[in-house]
Amino acid sequence: MPTEAQCRDTGGIIVAAIFIFIGVLALWDTFDYTDADSFVFPRTVAGAMIVFCIALIAWSLVRPIDAATRGAESTPRRVGLVAAMLVAALLMPYAGFLLSGLLAFAAIVWLAMYDPWTRRRLIVYPLVGSAIVLGFYFLFTRVLLVPLPIGRLFIG
Amino acid sequence: MDSLAYLLAALTPYHIALAIGGVVAGTVVGSLPGLTATMAVAVLIPITFSMEPASALILMGAIYTGAIYGGAYAAILLNTPGTPSAIATTFDGYPMAKRGDGDLAITLACIASVCGGLVGALFLLFLAPPLANVALAFGPVEYFWLAILGLTLISALSQGNLLKGLIGACFGLLLSCIGVAEISADVRLTFGSHTLLGGIEVVSALIGLYCIPVLIDLVATPDRHLEVEDVSRGFRLREALGISWRSKFNLARSSVLGTLVGILPGAGGSIAGLVAYSEARRASKQQRHFGHGAPEGVQATESANNATVGGGFIPTLVLGIPGTPPDAVILGALLIQGVRTGPNLFTEHGSIVYVFIWGLLIATVLMLPTGLFIGRYAYRFIVTVPKALLVPTVAFMTLIGTYAIRNSVSDVVIMIVLGVVGWILGRLGFSASPIVLGLILGSIAEQGFVQGWIIGAAADNLWGEFFGRPIAMAIFAFILLSLFSPLLLSRFRVKREIAGAD
Repeated sequence: MPTEAQCRDTGGIIVAAIFIFIGVLALWDTFDYTDADSFVFPRTVAGAMIVFCIALIAWSLVRPIDAATRGAESTPRRVGLVAAMLVAALLMPYAGFLLSGLLAFAAIVWLAMYDPWTRRRLIVYPLVGSAIVLGFYFLFTRVLLVPLPIGRLFIG
Repeated sequence: MDSLAYLLAALTPYHIALAIGGVVAGTVVGSLPGLTATMAVAVLIPITFSMEPASALILMGAIYTGAIYGGAYAAILLNTPGTPSAIATTFDGYPMAKRGDGDLAITLACIASVCGGLVGALFLLFLAPPLANVALAFGPVEYFWLAILGLTLISALSQGNLLKGLIGACFGLLLSCIGVAEISADVRLTFGSHTLLGGIEVVSALIGLYCIPVLIDLVATPDRHLEVEDVSRGFRLREALGISWRSKFNLARSSVLGTLVGILPGAGGSIAGLVAYSEARRASKQQRHFGHGAPEGVQATESANNATVGGGFIPTLVLGIPGTPPDAVILGALLIQGVRTGPNLFTEHGSIVYVFIWGLLIATVLMLPTGLFIGRYAYRFIVTVPKALLVPTVAFMTLIGTYAIRNSVSDVVIMIVLGVVGWILGRLGFSASPIVLGLILGSIAEQGFVQGWIIGAAADNLWGEFFGRPIAMAIFAFILLSLFSPLLLSRFRVKREIAGAD
């Protein structure tokens, strides 16, 4: 029986179940391949993954794990960070790399800011952020010759 | 081209500038608590894409070695390891800083890091070529088993449950299959998605799996208001050199241990540091001083974790199996450069490998002045960079770096999605390293497996093809050992504890 400091690894069991589903999907996909060269490896790996997942579920049902303690952490900020990066990526073809990068930078500064916004920070942070984004943009486009997207908005 | 010519090729002003720049950049990133050496290499890698492979390798090696050393600053002065490799540095480094010897501890860490780095790089220089000759005897089946050995080792050595590691490794192998198959051109595991047709680009996946989880965690908690222990008496280099000379055996033992741990796939600087620390403590006549500011503790950890740099490059360059997580990223970058690591690298691309090894030695030596300078004058500024600027800067670097690999927005989206998946899995005890290694070793493993399968099926001796060859059997025995040794060790430990209690 799990003690107070221990609990069942429910998260691990759920992930193992998801991986079993992924393994079954992969196995199902391999039946469409025309050549043995293509299916023999993914089929073996998917099979092994399903076996390991079943073993993990069985293990987790009989062996409790130490309960994890987590401090005060902000989930909305985490979601915000991922959303800001995803939006910037999807915006790139339309708004260009520079504008989407600047917008993402500004959004993430705001998300990562826990201290009060003083007048000095309101001036310094946007300046530093712009310098970083422009500096990297210049490095990649002019020095490393990477064609970063200009954006359909600006091409017309 | 002989050794001298390779050394001279590594000593060009361009390569020296890359070595200094890499060490400085790595030290700065590594000294920031929360950012790892793997992350330092991953976010700075796109800069190397337009370089020659040898130059790119020198820069990446310098970033890596600098980042491992940089972790010591925060460990000593803030009691927070800048990178996981410096966990054991906190044990004695911080007590030294508390009693006013922080400057001495930093200089000792720098000297130890240089010693460890040099030992690791020398092992790489002298051990890798003969090992490459041995590896030339390997056939496809041996490569398949080697890839599986790498995966089982990383599953056993990385944090968490062995089964979770193995599941992660299988997941990584499946990810490597996504896209159009090389031989038959079958479209695999895309499920109709055009975004996945090009497959998962390895470096963007690595950036996602290693950097995004760190960013997600950094943004979720407030900036710690760091109290930097006062460091005011200068370098204290003469004193540090005297202490280092007196504990030369400790330095040598820890450096060799670090190199050996680095050779094991998946066992990076953190394991090396902890192993060397416990060995230094066990061998010391003044065990009670450990944990209370013993310089030997700092020296053991720092020499061992920097020795993993050279040690980790041995399997990376000889076999194409990364020794440590940063090696995995470097291997991915080399694949983009069109350089395939393996035993043939030493014969066919000697100019790349040997120039790089000499470059790594030069970068390690240059770490002494740059490391001391940064520790003395720039550390306070680096460590107080506010999180509100640090997080968006790293996030922006991941975006621009990932896009630059193939000029693909899809890669950026895949990188972010994989990062989120890696973060969720990490919270549930599934380490990112087995997934990464599975992704990297997927092509080697598949090629070896399929070729072995075809040969075995043609000869009607599938079992003999995979289990009947001497080298393959030896590797298979190591796989079994890596799988069952944690179980046997824990049983042994429990028995010993019971015996001790009695």
